[in-house]
Amino acid sequence: MIDISSVPNIPPAFIFIFGAVLIPLFGKGRVRNVYLILLAALGLISVALIGRQPLPGWEFSVLPGLKLTFLHVESGYLGRLSIIMGYIFAIAGGSAIIYSLSTVKENGHHICALLYMGSALGAVFAGDFFTLYIFWEMMAFSSLGLIWYEGSRRARDSGMRYILFHLFGGCALLGGILIHYMNTGLIAVGPVKPGLGYFLLLIGIGVNAAFIPLHTWLPDSYPKATIAGTIFLSIFTTKTGIYVLARTFSGVEAVAYLGGAMCLYGVIFAILQNDVRKLLSYHIVSQLGYMVAGVGMAAGVATEIAINGSIAHLFNNLLFKTTLFMCMGAVIYRTGKNNLTELGGLAKKMPVTMITCVIAALSISGVIGFNGYVSKGMIIHAAHEAALNGVRGMGILELALMLGSVGTLISFLKLTYFAFFSKNENIEAKEAPLPMLVPMCVTAFLCIVIGLYPKLLYGILPYKEAALHYHAYELGHTLGTVELVLMTVFLFFMIGFFAPHEKITNDVDYLYRKAGRGFIWLCESPLVSFAIAVEKIVLRIADFFVKFSKNPLRGTRMMMDMIGVALLKPFVFVFNLVIQPVYKHYERDLEEVKMRPVEEPMERMSIGTGVLLVLLFFALYLIAMLVHGWLA
Amino acid sequence: MDKKVLKGLLLMMVCVVLGISAIFVFLRQSEQFTGFLYGAIGVGLFMVMAKILSLIQKEGKQDD
Repeated sequence: MIDISSVPNIPPAFIFIFGAVLIPLFGKGRVRNVYLILLAALGLISVALIGRQPLPGWEFSVLPGLKLTFLHVESGYLGRLSIIMGYIFAIAGGSAIIYSLSTVKENGHHICALLYMGSALGAVFAGDFFTLYIFWEMMAFSSLGLIWYEGSRRARDSGMRYILFHLFGGCALLGGILIHYMNTGLIAVGPVKPGLGYFLLLIGIGVNAAFIPLHTWLPDSYPKATIAGTIFLSIFTTKTGIYVLARTFSGVEAVAYLGGAMCLYGVIFAILQNDVRKLLSYHIVSQLGYMVAGVGMAAGVATEIAINGSIAHLFNNLLFKTTLFMCMGAVIYRTGKNNLTELGGLAKKMPVTMITCVIAALSISGVIGFNGYVSKGMIIHAAHEAALNGVRGMGILELALMLGSVGTLISFLKLTYFAFFSKNENIEAKEAPLPMLVPMCVTAFLCIVIGLYPKLLYGILPYKEAALHYHAYELGHTLGTVELVLMTVFLFFMIGFFAPHEKITNDVDYLYRKAGRGFIWLCESPLVSFAIAVEKIVLRIADFFVKFSKNPLRGTRMMMDMIGVALLKPFVFVFNLVIQPVYKHYERDLEEVKMRPVEEPMERMSIGTGVLLVLLFFALYLIAMLVHGWLA
Repeated sequence: MDKKVLKGLLLMMVCVVLGISAIFVFLRQSEQFTGFLYGAIGVGLFMVMAKILSLIQKEGKQDD
């Protein structure tokens, strides 16, 4: 028997980061594939080891009183939260690695994916804000590679917008961390006191958690990444945002309402989409809304059920959303089409993909018997509990979350029907390759298992006892869900309103792009003109000093004429008759003075005038001394 | 009066009676039917929102 206590803990982040560095040694064949699978297994084992026996260590002192902690697991529910996140990332990331084996040929793509996975796990187990920031930025840059590897111009442009957004978020996060550290001297990841640092941290985390209106990078970039890249992207960035939000901003009511808004906003835009991956990307925003709402509701009596619901939904979301992205990736891989208007008739040609996609669609829609029903129910139940306990606005939040479920069902009826069941005799496709099907089937199977036996999920939630007391299949809730599903399905097919169209839907990023173009115009036109004007003035002043040094009287006269011209010029058009003669005088005089050669002999003055000027300056000097009391 | 008109009136009356009964039952037993209600409200809401957002949609493929 192996004594598990004798096996040292290694941060899972290091396994993937160093594993990524070694990839070029394994070529591009089967050896590399085996190596990648082994790496995924090693990552999962390292998380399991931390879960069983979190040992201290992996601290590095960088400055007096400042340590970077690369592996830290708190005691209590926060520790359980970290471990759950570690498991989720290791399982979902491992599935994505297996999925990518058949579609990704380039070593660079695998390196980016492993660095991304490693940095996400690093952020989860970071013990302090600075370490978290390091991994946060690593995540942004490594994930950029997954977008750019697609190779098209639209991917390149979208990747640029993606990294700009994340750099902005990173700057806000760093600013928040520094202010928090300066104010409190604390560096551990935890709740933050209200103030500027609090606000900046919320923005920084909000970019990754896709808060509205900071969400636009997500539906912009995810559909343009490589097929496997989208799977990785859908797993890590946003979920890390939710995890850090749960550790720093749990119980903030405003965050709960923001979650409700995200839930509805994401689903409305998802319904309007034609591109399958864009539809799924908007659904990430919507599903994140449930999690954000759960984190925000974690106060008072609803704390335990809200946090449990949020983390349960995060876990389930990774299962069904990963499955959906994998299914749609397989569809795009086999057909080369990504718009619903071009798809259809794939049910018989890709049966396994269709079945897994339908399972995942039912799960995300919260249909009874699937995992989404359990976790969504927990969050809605938390809102209901909070409303019953008199927390204002929670009734509206509960309604928003319920309506979000209806919207989710509508958009997934649209996705599955128009991708697989609608008539399209021209489409040519065959079933996805085995490395794609295996992870799809595994995650879809887990969706059903957790849906039918939710205690498996309850056992790993932060508040285990509270979770075990929750009854997902309570009669009233079950009946209500059946009615809701029946009514939505009936109206969807009866009205036939939600058919896909080839149309572009502008989101908030339309305003950003307009504002960006306006900023470029501002830089290119008014600011450049201003810079040229300033340059001219500086040159004139320098010219004056040159001439003054050669001929002081002429220089002074030139300067006076120049000032006169500059001051009067704006008024010439308004008070033409009065000012025009004076202005003309200055202008003519200035031209005349300029025309004279610099080397002209200096103008002479009488000795008396010179003495008078000297006495005048001396008198002014004495007055200044007297006024300032320097003569006393 | 024409038979067709009479039949139509009778049909309308039956529909009104059925509608009122349904509303009555629904109001009395509303707790058992909230799922249907949320479903109908939800579909209606998303139809209205889709109509409103179609004002800012433009023709073309959803690329950029």
